[in-house]
Amino acid sequence: MTTGATSRGSVVAPGVPYVDAANVDKIYPSPKGAVTALRGVTFDIRDREFLSVLGPSGCGKSTFLKCVAGLTDISAGKLTVKGIPVAGPPANMGIVFQRDILLDWRTNLENVLLPVDFRRLSRKEWVGRARDLFALLGLSGFEDRSPWELSGGMRQRVAICRALIQNPELLLMDEPFGALDALTRDEMNLELQRVWIADAKTVLFITHSIVESVFLSDRVVVMTRSPGRVLDVIEIDLPRPRELNIRETPQFGTYVAHIRELFRQMGMFARSP
Amino acid sequence: MTGVQLVRRLFAPNRAHSILLVLAGAFLAWEVAVLIFKPPIFLLPPPSLVLGLLLDDIPFYANHARHTLGACLFGFAVALVVGVFAAVGIVYSRVLENTLYTLLVALNSIPKIALAPLFIIWMGSGTASRVAISATIALWAIVIDTVLGLRSVDPEMLDMARSMRATRLQVLYRIRLPNALPSLFAGMKVAISMALVGVIVGEFVTSEAGLGYTILSAQGTFNIPMVFVAIILLGVLGTVLFYAVDLIERLVIPWHVSHRGGAAAPTTTPSV
Ligand SMILES: Nc1ncnc2c1ncn2[C@@H]1O[C@H](COP(=O)(O)OP(=O)(O)OP(=O)(O)O)[C@@H](O)[C@H]1O
Ligand SMILES: [Mg+2]
Repeated sequence: MTTGATSRGSVVAPGVPYVDAANVDKIYPSPKGAVTALRGVTFDIRDREFLSVLGPSGCGKSTFLKCVAGLTDISAGKLTVKGIPVAGPPANMGIVFQRDILLDWRTNLENVLLPVDFRRLSRKEWVGRARDLFALLGLSGFEDRSPWELSGGMRQRVAICRALIQNPELLLMDEPFGALDALTRDEMNLELQRVWIADAKTVLFITHSIVESVFLSDRVVVMTRSPGRVLDVIEIDLPRPRELNIRETPQFGTYVAHIRELFRQMGMFARSP
Repeated sequence: MTGVQLVRRLFAPNRAHSILLVLAGAFLAWEVAVLIFKPPIFLLPPPSLVLGLLLDDIPFYANHARHTLGACLFGFAVALVVGVFAAVGIVYSRVLENTLYTLLVALNSIPKIALAPLFIIWMGSGTASRVAISATIALWAIVIDTVLGLRSVDPEMLDMARSMRATRLQVLYRIRLPNALPSLFAGMKVAISMALVGVIVGEFVTSEAGLGYTILSAQGTFNIPMVFVAIILLGVLGTVLFYAVDLIERLVIPWHVSHRGGAAAPTTTPSV
């Protein structure tokens, strides 16, 4: 496995995964009958690893992310972050949700500073970093505009800035680029890789795109149809940093073909690309 | 400017213009109707006579209008503060929801005008009782709309705040309250009219000043034109108050969907 150059040392003991899921079940109770979203999910995310989760719609990817984030309880099994069972949202975590969820009554810059406000830190000390993130994600000049003045892709980038503002150790991303056009999406993939290499984060990345998952990840977890189980975990052994044209190499093609075959075995064609 | 241009400008979708135009039209129709049908003056005086009466003694009417306006604003303010706190309590506490909310629902189903004599027995015939009646009548609209606004938060928005380890208090004032503002303003627009109704009811029961008092005492002496002056002043007062709330809304929540295009927010005020 290749990890990027690291700017921080390991935050977990050697051999201990950053996130560890063992036989995790998640059942949503409901008056119309309980829904089993996850069944016996077992895999880990290593410290400073970039791990993607792929799976059919409704298989429980978002549910798993919310369990890791401590936003919903697991029904059975064991789920630890840094060796400690998850009980509520941990510090040092950033989330990008499937929808951007920006607050209309705040400017874009104030939206990015929301975690700073919640922690009662001084805005003055963080505004510089916020502006750097705006520049990094190509949003300069929109700091003092409102979210409703932005396109869908720009809004999602603001949400990414908000997740990154406190330089979290653990970054959870739920299909962050699903709403973007192909070109912007490529650009964001490169940007995300750069941020990840520079800041050495542990990333849980959920996506529908096989190509995106292979391009970005150290490992790809493929889940089955609902109720979600882990079907396969694929190590992506490609050098870093990766350029976009790595996607044309035969090695890359082999990974994509393998994953596509898994989806075919599940009786479905994966959403392209 | 040609005649066509003039007509176009007058009918342009400019709010101030169209309001004035509609009102002027209504008065004109009234004047013409009186000219044609010639009803006895003590039944329906022409607007020109009513206007003349008002202009004859502006200080007199201004003084009464000020009494009514003062009590109305005071009552509205009390309803706003009490209403918002009650709504927060109802949303955050199961106990308050089961008690206070139930009580308010019951209270609301009584025609609150029927409570006016009680307030006067309890609080005397001064301004305090009129403020209390006004606040009681206006309260419901504030509570119901604020509760609605506080509750209708996107659950993912709450998840987002929780993932940033926001406290309950922070969620309240950084997420729920701003999110409830559009709804609160809708409630305020209803409440401001209700507050005015409350004051007039109070003045009908007992008072020595105010437009409600003016109406009652003029009616006693069969001074029907004076009744009309007071009624028209009440209409003006109600309209101005409504648009004042509307203006404040635009200043406070320019981010809301209904204001982004610069269009007027459609809101209906029930009449009592
Ligand atoms: N809050 C909830 N209450 C009840 N059931 C839920 C809830 N959230 C998700 N589910 C159910 O759990 C299952 C998994 O949902 P989840 O959102 O995790 O899927 P997903 O893999 O993220 O899908 P997608 O790719 O479409 O986003 C679905 O069957 C869904 O109906
Ligand atoms: Mg999802």
